Amino acid sequence: MQQNKPLISISNLQVSAGDKQLLSGVCFDLYEGEMLCIVGESGAGKSTLIKALQGMMPARCDSFTYAPSNFEVCGAIPSGLGLPQARWVMQDPLSALNPRQSLGRSIAESLHKERLPKDHLRKRVLSVLSDVELSEEFYDRLPSQVSLGQAQRACLARALIAKPKLIFFDEPLSALDALVQKKIAHRMEHLRRATNTTYIAVTHDLGFAAAYADKVLLLRDGTVSAYQSRSAFFANPQSDYAIDLVAAAQSLGALPKAAA
Amino acid sequence: MKTLLIRFGGLLAVLIGITLITFTISYFAPGDKAEAIAHARYPGDFGIPTEVLQGIREEFNLDAPFVHQYIHWLADVLRGDFGVSYSSRTPVWVIFVDNLGETVTLTLTSLAIGLAAAFLLSAVAVRYPNTIWDRGAVVISSIGAAMPSYWLALLLILGVSVHLGWLPAYGTGTFGHLILPSTTLAFWIMASQTRLMRTFMLEAYDQPFIETLRLRGIPEREIFSRHVLRHSFVPALTMIGLDMASLLEGAIIVELTFSRSGLGSVLAGSVLSRDLPVVMFLVMFFATAYVVINSVIDAVQHLCDPRNLNKAKTS
Amino acid sequence: MSLSQSFSISKGQLVDPLRHFTRQIALVCLALLSLWSLALWLTPYEPAAADFLDRLAPPSAAHWAGTDHLGRDIATRLLYGAGWSLGLSLAISLTGFVVGTFVGIFAARSGPAGDFAVMRVTDSFFAFPELIAAVTFAGLFGPSTTNLVIALMMVSWMKFARLARALTVNLGESDFITQARLNGLSSLLILWRHLLPNILPSLLVLWTNSWSRTILSVSGLSFLGFGIQPPSAEWGAMLLDGKAYMQTAPHIMIFPGLAVLLAVMVINLTGDRFRDLMAGKT
Repeated sequence: MQQNKPLISISNLQVSAGDKQLLSGVCFDLYEGEMLCIVGESGAGKSTLIKALQGMMPARCDSFTYAPSNFEVCGAIPSGLGLPQARWVMQDPLSALNPRQSLGRSIAESLHKERLPKDHLRKRVLSVLSDVELSEEFYDRLPSQVSLGQAQRACLARALIAKPKLIFFDEPLSALDALVQKKIAHRMEHLRRATNTTYIAVTHDLGFAAAYADKVLLLRDGTVSAYQSRSAFFANPQSDYAIDLVAAAQSLGALPKAAA
Repeated sequence: MKTLLIRFGGLLAVLIGITLITFTISYFAPGDKAEAIAHARYPGDFGIPTEVLQGIREEFNLDAPFVHQYIHWLADVLRGDFGVSYSSRTPVWVIFVDNLGETVTLTLTSLAIGLAAAFLLSAVAVRYPNTIWDRGAVVISSIGAAMPSYWLALLLILGVSVHLGWLPAYGTGTFGHLILPSTTLAFWIMASQTRLMRTFMLEAYDQPFIETLRLRGIPEREIFSRHVLRHSFVPALTMIGLDMASLLEGAIIVELTFSRSGLGSVLAGSVLSRDLPVVMFLVMFFATAYVVINSVIDAVQHLCDPRNLNKAKTS
Repeated sequence: MSLSQSFSISKGQLVDPLRHFTRQIALVCLALLSLWSLALWLTPYEPAAADFLDRLAPPSAAHWAGTDHLGRDIATRLLYGAGWSLGLSLAISLTGFVVGTFVGIFAARSGPAGDFAVMRVTDSFFAFPELIAAVTFAGLFGPSTTNLVIALMMVSWMKFARLARALTVNLGESDFITQARLNGLSSLLILWRHLLPNILPSLLVLWTNSWSRTILSVSGLSFLGFGIQPPSAEWGAMLLDGKAYMQTAPHIMIFPGLAVLLAVMVINLTGDRFRDLMAGKT
């Protein structure tokens, strides 16, 4: 299944703000359709990593390649807005959606650059709404008129409608309650398999990583504490910190049996 | 330290802005300033020779460009020389000091009456929620906020002075002269403060520890006097500081309506007689007082509450 | 919409309460405006027509609010005065609204140095209490309607600028703006679609407040002789007319004052209701 060239690959990513080193020595590569889970405690630099990759923070690296746009850099990552054919699903769906704009229009905005005719655009939005299991009536709803889970589905739809090669997820489930988390996680997984999209997901939930990830990147204080495939990470963690973390999760019963 | 410097720089910039705006208005005000000065110097002398006017223009740099005049004037102001009234030929500073007392008396009396009334009204409203007292307090405060104070003044004069003949209507002097004006101003203070105090007291009631106190069997009266009251004082006082501009405006309207002496009357009189030095000083005084007092309140708040340090950057 | 769907969601939930309320208010305003023009058309009197045989008459069937010292019908003058007192202050506060909002957004969007400069200018203007600035300006440049309007406009925009700036700064950091940027929307489109719809409700509440304050200022300054001059039928100017006849004909000063009080109260209460709706939403 693996092609010879990764979809995204980065080595020795460095991010600093002022004299404080936020991230250093981050390396990973991902092939099409794979999912990377970035785990770590808050403040470890998980969200910084996502922002840096999208050019939203000044960052440097030894090399950074991104296949969809034949993008290759070494040195400073050019600051710009986002990678082409990539979308970003944020942690809090309510702040990620304009409270005074209907869900349909928010989703349609993802295709702003394509300048489609209105009826065509509406059709695409309705079809992506059904992909995330929302009925047509949600097109005209405001974010305040739907549940958190439905709002996060809309955000997912906003990412999917562009048929991106890569989707960043920043704690996509942490604002939701357990049952909704499970449903949306399933939906995310189903859509990834169906469209062969690459996911990079920030999470602090090891159970989620154990269930869905292909690779796990564990951050601690801005440095990589472990970078392994899922099975290796949970069976044979690379570092002491990873060992402690996996053991703790197991003792709490947070991991599925297969991974434990 | 850096934020402190920026704030101080900002304050300085605003103060310069105030002098600039004041000077610009007076610079472009219609009327020959040289003539006004000449009339003040030689009272009763109507045919002022053009040479004298020319001499005054040179003396006061009246023909100099805007920036030149502004800097000249600003230098005088910074040295504490605010000039001499055109019409009465007394130093502006003296006029100010002479009239400050009346305005301060009026304002403080009104503030005392208004706050006491607001306090009683909101305390009753909060202690007996959803009763006629509570509703009444809300209605009174919304009437008071909408009441044109000059109209209230006329109604009071009509009722109390004209019909009942109890108190003098116009003028300054005795204690009796103070009652109607301060009632007028106090009504507005009461209205705006009742609204705030009621909200703050209700918020204080909403805090979780109040329920704990109730469960421990502490009587309502004691909960109110010990805990709710205290919590409502500080924010209300801050609001009073911020609303000082409105208070000053109210005082001026009241002074003019009741023909009282005071800074408001001086301002109106000197504006109408184009007594520029007096006008400029008063306007600048009000603006500077507003800015300085608010900066002090701001600074005190920030010193008291380190959490505000981050918010300050965005506000 | 099928029957089962309309049962599953209550209908009120789908209507945006703010929009609904705004629509209601617009209808009421329209009704009031047509009622007002109808009354202007129906009244048999002219606002400036003196009738010295019928001076200082108390309210009666012929003169609902009586006549003033020149025998002019007060009710008719109040109707015409609404145009001055309400209309003029509406225009002034709307100007402040538009200018202030523009300045505030500009400050928030123009980087630290521009922001600092613009806001310190705003602060400088803000330092002058409204009424004092208006008295000074209108007095020095000669009491007239034009000078009153200029004076009040100069002091009406700062609150909007401050609020618009604060709201814009807060929103600028929010996720949906970031998303819009990532999706390649131009700054102007982001302003129009994302920023304005979200900051307008708060600014509208401030605007109702500003309008009612301006009504008080316009009529107050006219009453003090610094604003609209008699014989114009402005409510404050009418009060000034009535002041001299307070003893013999109190109705001359009662009705204009009542008109100001009622107008300001209605606007204030509408603003309060709007604010409550906003708070209930979030």
